Parts: sequence; structure tokens; C-alpha cells
Amino acid sequence: MHFKVAFDYIRRSPFQAASAIVVLSLTFFVATMLAVLVYSSGNLLKYFETRPQIIAFLKSESTPEAISAFQNKLAGDLRVKDVRYVSKEEALEIYKEATVDNPLLAQLVSPSIFPASLEFSVSDLSYAEKVIEETKGEGIVDSVGFTASLGGEKTLGSVVARLRTITWYIRIGGGVFVGILSATSFLVLLVIIGMRMTVRKDEVEILDLIGATPSFIRSPIVIEALIYALAGVLFGWLVSFIIWLYLSPNIVRYFGDIEVLPKGTLNFLAFLGLILAVELMVGAFLAISGSMLAISRAKKSR
Amino acid sequence: MGIVSFKGVSKSFGDIHALDNVTFEVEKGEFVFITGPSGAGKTTLLKLILRELLPDSGEIVFDGENIGALTDKQIPSLRQKIGVVFQDFKVLPERTLRENVEVALAVIGVDESEWQGRVDQILKLVGLAERSELFPAQLSGGELQRVSLARALVVNPKLILADEPTGNLDWETSAGVMDLFEKINKEGKTIIMATHNKMIIEKLNKRVIALKNGRIVSGVKEEKVYPQHQKIGVGVHTKMKVKVQEV
Repeated sequence: MHFKVAFDYIRRSPFQAASAIVVLSLTFFVATMLAVLVYSSGNLLKYFETRPQIIAFLKSESTPEAISAFQNKLAGDLRVKDVRYVSKEEALEIYKEATVDNPLLAQLVSPSIFPASLEFSVSDLSYAEKVIEETKGEGIVDSVGFTASLGGEKTLGSVVARLRTITWYIRIGGGVFVGILSATSFLVLLVIIGMRMTVRKDEVEILDLIGATPSFIRSPIVIEALIYALAGVLFGWLVSFIIWLYLSPNIVRYFGDIEVLPKGTLNFLAFLGLILAVELMVGAFLAISGSMLAISRAKKSR
Repeated sequence: MGIVSFKGVSKSFGDIHALDNVTFEVEKGEFVFITGPSGAGKTTLLKLILRELLPDSGEIVFDGENIGALTDKQIPSLRQKIGVVFQDFKVLPERTLRENVEVALAVIGVDESEWQGRVDQILKLVGLAERSELFPAQLSGGELQRVSLARALVVNPKLILADEPTGNLDWETSAGVMDLFEKINKEGKTIIMATHNKMIIEKLNKRVIALKNGRIVSGVKEEKVYPQHQKIGVGVHTKMKVKVQEV
């Protein structure tokens, strides 16, 4: 009966219902877009932060003992993390993988021309310059470089710094934006349910006099708000889902190894499903709290 | 003890004494008129039974329960035992006649499978079986009052309170509605009806509690107008020393 009454209210005020659903849809559309962006930017940042940033190319005459001693020294340095020894043979393998499209290039080289190296990252990029200077001073080190694809040390620093800024803007700016939209949705729900309570004032009074419990009186109102919120979540999420579905092949291709979106269709769907579940909970919370607040305000004004 | 009893009940609104030390009792199955001029305290009395208001002093007992001691959560269950008929009908305008009656069943938690049978029976009783799918706007005043009565009756209440149920009706329609009340009373329902329609009181020849300025009175005029009453003015107001009169 409560559902029938709630649907009757919606049917009788289609424009109020439409405005509530549109505002909520917009909120959850932006929320879904931002949730995926936060995930992607986080993964992008993590990728750049965790890949070896510094490569110390070792002199060919370096002894295993000296290399081991230097590796232990780096491993014990708190500013340094993920130290890895790359032998001449491994370096060749990496080269072969990198030139897989042109096997002729790999055939022209032998392991001997690749120097062994120690690859490592710094825990914070601000240490990079100092660590590089110290590494250059080591007797067994021939030269020190940054990840080749990123160019020089300034480029790496600026790329990561820029990524950090972008991620920060997405997280904080997006959070604030979603917060504002959520507050707007909450207020719209509050106003619409408040209007409904004003229209239903006589009905509430009659129900109260014939012995209806407060929950009996509230139920159709709360159900109506829940219908708005759930419809808003579904519309907003669906539009966002279609956009990401359309864009995902190009995004995945562009970023290559970097997992900016969950790999595999099932993982991707599960990720968006998780977002939907969270949004449904948030929507239900907005609807229940908004309608309860509107009801209590209407009661006070009686 | 009767189904409703007032013991020294007073209620004021600022300086206005709506009820002043009112004591009376209504037996199960009785039909009692509460009468008196406007402002005498009739509606206040009914509101106190419904726990819309709390008395300033005194005790009101309904069905063995002290109404004043009920918590807010217990009020709905009190009201579910009372059927109320209002002067202005108070029907739900956006619901059909049938839905208006069904809502009372929903309120007391009757299973939906029972609704149709019970509603049909009540609508037949009040003579609206043929109009069950109409909306209130399509019904006359008399019919709306019958809807209000049907809604009150369908829950099989222990008590029916009627506040000027014929106040908005012409004499002929009023007589029809009152016939219904009488019929219901004959079937054993307790009815307390507030009215100042003397023709109705005369026609039904029931017990009358007369109020004036918030006090129970039973004047000579009342006795002359309704000589055949079994009792006029039940309960004694201590200040006025009015006796219960058996006729």
C-alpha cells in the first residue's frame, strides 16, 4: 500500500519528481566519472612512483663482492627503496623485449655491450639529486641515469610532480564538487519532500487521528524519496557507465602497460558495479535522511 | 467501571477554562450526547479522549487505561480502538471511497486479503456499496459523512466519537446519518456524540451530558425539552452541586 501511495504522489507531481531525479542523476553521474578518474590517476601516479627511477650503470671491471657491497649499502639507505641488480644478460633481455618489433636490432648486439646496473627508486623525489650525486661518487659506478623513457632527472621530477598535482586536484577538487552536488541534491530532496508534506498536511492529520503510527505516516514519503534517489543513481551511473565503456578501449591502448582502468572486462564491470553499490547506499542515505528531516520540520511547523 | 470515565478533569487554554472539574462515566454500549453551546467544551472533551490534548488535572480512563499516563508511542494504539467521525468529514480527497475505508484497516495492520470483504460489508451498511470507486469530490455531504462513519466502523472500534457529525448536513440527510448511528448503537457499539442539534437529541432519546462553560450542567430547560430522557446530566459538578437526575 505504501508503494502504491508513493507512486501515486510521484504520478500526480511529475515535474517535481523529474527535477529531483535530474539533480540526483547529475550528482551521481559526476560522482561516477570522478570515482573512475581518481582510480586512474592514482594508478598512474603509483606506476611512475614505483618504477625504477635511478639506474647506476656499473663499470665492467666491477667485482661481484663490490657490487654486492654497494647493493647492501643502497638497501640500508632509508631514502632508497626497491633496489634490484640487473646483469648484462638481463639487460640484453630487456633490450630484446623493447625491440621485439625489430628483431634485427637484437641480433646485432651481445650481452657484453650492455653494462650491469643497479636500479632503484627513491622514497621521495626530493632525495633524488643528493642520492644521484652520492651514487656518482661510488668507485664502481660508471654513470647514473634516470628511466630512459622519461628523459632527464628534471623531466622525471616534473612529470611526477605534475601527476601529483593533477591527482590532488582530481581528489580534492572532485571531492568538493561531488560534495556540493550532494548537498544540492539533499536540499532539493528536502524541498520537494517538504512541499509534499505541506500538501499532505490534512492527510497526515487524519491518519494521526485514526491511529496511524509515525512510521505508517512516514513510509510513503520515505519510499518516494528513495525512488527519486535510486532512479537518480541509476540514471547517473548508467550514463557514466556508457561513456567509460565507449572510451575504455582507447584509454587502455593509449596508456599501454599502465593499468589506468581495471584489466579485463569482468574486472572493469566489477569495479563499476562496486561504484554503483556505493552510490546506491549513498543515495539511500540521502533519501532517508532528507525525508526524515523534512518530516520532522513539517511536524514542528504544525 | 464504564468504558470511559472522567474523574475531576480540568483543561485550560490560558485564562479560558475549557473543562472544569468534569466527572462522568459512559457504560459499554451506551449512546451519549455531549451537548452545550459553542465554547462549552464539547470538542475539548472529545480531544481529551483521543489524547490530542492532555488534561491539566484529573484522570481519564478508557477501556481500563489511564489515557493521561500513555506515552507518545502508545497513543496510536489508543486511537486504533476509537472510531472518529468529524463534522468536516476528514476524508482523504485523493483516494477513492473504498481506499478511504481501506486506509483504516491498513493502519490497524489487517491483512490485505481481508480488506475487500470487510469494506464491502461496511459500505453496504452505510449504503455506499455502489459508489465505492468514486472520489470524495464526486460525493454529497451526507455521503461523505457516511464514508467517515464507514472508516470509523470498519476497524470494529470499542468506542465511536462523533464531533458534530450533522453540523454540515441538512435535516433530512442528518436524520439518515443519525439512523445509522442508532443502528450501530443497537448492535452494541458505544457512541459519544458532541452536538448542539436539539432536534437530533430529541429524536434519538438518549442520555445527554450538558456542558456549559466547561462544567457539566443539567438545566430545567433540558429536562423540559427532553422529558423522556433516562438521565440528564450524568456526573455532578462539585461547585454547582448539580444532582444527577433520573427521569
